[in-house]
Amino acid sequence: MRLYDLIQQNKNLRFIDTVSGKSSMVTEFHKSIAIENSQGLGFVYSDNQIDSIEVFLNFLESNFTISLLNAQLNIQFKQSLEDIYQPYYIYDASRTEIKGYKKCSVSESITLFKRKTKQENPINKDIKLLLSTSGTTGNPKFVKLSDNNLVKNAMSILDYMPIKSDDVVPLNIPITYVYGLSIFTTNCIKANTIVCTNKDILQKDFWEDFKTYKFSTLSGVPYAYEMLNRIGFFKKEHEFLQYMTQAGGKLSKKLISVIIAYSKKHKIPFYTQYGQTEAAGRIAFLHPNDLLNRKYSIGKPIKGGRFELKEDTNELIYYGENVFGGYAQGLDDLASFNTSNKLFTGDIAKKDEDGYYYIVGRIKRIIKLFGTRINLDEVELILKNNLVGETFICTGIEDKYLSIVHLNKKLTDDSIKKILREKLNLHSSSIMIKCIDKIPLTANGKIDYQKTRELTII
Amino acid sequence: MNTTEQLYKVIAKALDISTEIITDQLEYQSIVEWDSMSHLILVEALETAYNIEIETEDILEMSTVAKLKDVLKKKNIEMI
Repeated sequence: MRLYDLIQQNKNLRFIDTVSGKSSMVTEFHKSIAIENSQGLGFVYSDNQIDSIEVFLNFLESNFTISLLNAQLNIQFKQSLEDIYQPYYIYDASRTEIKGYKKCSVSESITLFKRKTKQENPINKDIKLLLSTSGTTGNPKFVKLSDNNLVKNAMSILDYMPIKSDDVVPLNIPITYVYGLSIFTTNCIKANTIVCTNKDILQKDFWEDFKTYKFSTLSGVPYAYEMLNRIGFFKKEHEFLQYMTQAGGKLSKKLISVIIAYSKKHKIPFYTQYGQTEAAGRIAFLHPNDLLNRKYSIGKPIKGGRFELKEDTNELIYYGENVFGGYAQGLDDLASFNTSNKLFTGDIAKKDEDGYYYIVGRIKRIIKLFGTRINLDEVELILKNNLVGETFICTGIEDKYLSIVHLNKKLTDDSIKKILREKLNLHSSSIMIKCIDKIPLTANGKIDYQKTRELTII
Repeated sequence: MNTTEQLYKVIAKALDISTEIITDQLEYQSIVEWDSMSHLILVEALETAYNIEIETEDILEMSTVAKLKDVLKKKNIEMI
């Protein structure tokens, strides 16, 4: 069965718009938007509000391939993605016109942009969804996912997540981010109410909705849990809360102790999960019963998946039907979908004697700042392109800081920070910059990232 | 003596913005720079600058610069 049919099968499912307080049954969204009965690509710039959800569901039903993108993406990034992929449809509530597109009002509040000339490039029918590998850099690299990938992953999650048919679930994580998407798909299949909102946990309105709609669950990346802790969430009892989930990186030791204590005291199971966009969502989870004794473990693979450690590097390899069908860097890449069950995660792991896995390092050049995946090579390129071809070397310091090393003494820290602020919305307090004389190289002449990183710490 | 000018400097540094765009009406999440992350940096910066503790309700209450001033006022920090 297709993801869309599984969602429609949940007849009691309703969506609440927190702005108007109105609710809509899932059946009301069935073919509620006129989309041509053909194949092609649709860009959906989503902000988790009810209109985005309605558009997304309609595209899921259609034969179109969907690219789910963050509505807050920088406008230049949006335009360059559209130039590269030439989508037939665009949903973007923030724009009133797009060159080369005509406006179609498809419902009272929703407007789609339709391309004036139809793109003839073939799209492989197995590609249902394209997700960005990075939510913010505007990199055109997309992860190609099939409907089967999404369904298989949702089913594996439903096997362990205690979702009940009367649950009320807020979309407090963007659905353009694979973790948010998996919360969306699984709860659409099994829960009762999805609360569509773009309010965050530092807004009073969010907590008013929390009480009004009686949220059954909350989810977050480590940084969101830091915020919850800061605002005293774990000091209070929350009557309607049933369980909590976390993904997107490691929790700090201090925070995990707070959560364990809270979870025990109030009998709120806490699910910590490991996942990747390339696996359509989740890959492993730690059962709440194991939280106390294996708090730093990512647990065991989800149902239907298995792990292997690469012999020479200990890279974690995942096998499962949720593994993606390759990357796309441009239109031509949409012609193929390579079904593969094998995913090189880019993370280095170890396994204990009881079969629990632990992430101990990373092979890929990515860091996570405040839960957002940042590709260091992309940051280097963005800086280079915006600062007249200077050389920059970026490394990460424990997912807390982005370290930047360069060679130009005339370059001010502020000019670098300004670009990162504009392009990637990175706060200057998370950036460390150092100007050096010579780039450290390894014995075989490659950049020595380890040494470079150490240079900024001193 | 606490001045609005000082306060705006604290806000500007925490949010990574220029003091020129700060007004009473400036709202949380209305500019990309004032997001959840910088909001907590702002809370910390205010705590340090005025030697106060800001509680949960007040963190959520400070959704505009004007409301932020109200929170400070409650703590006997008035701007001249």
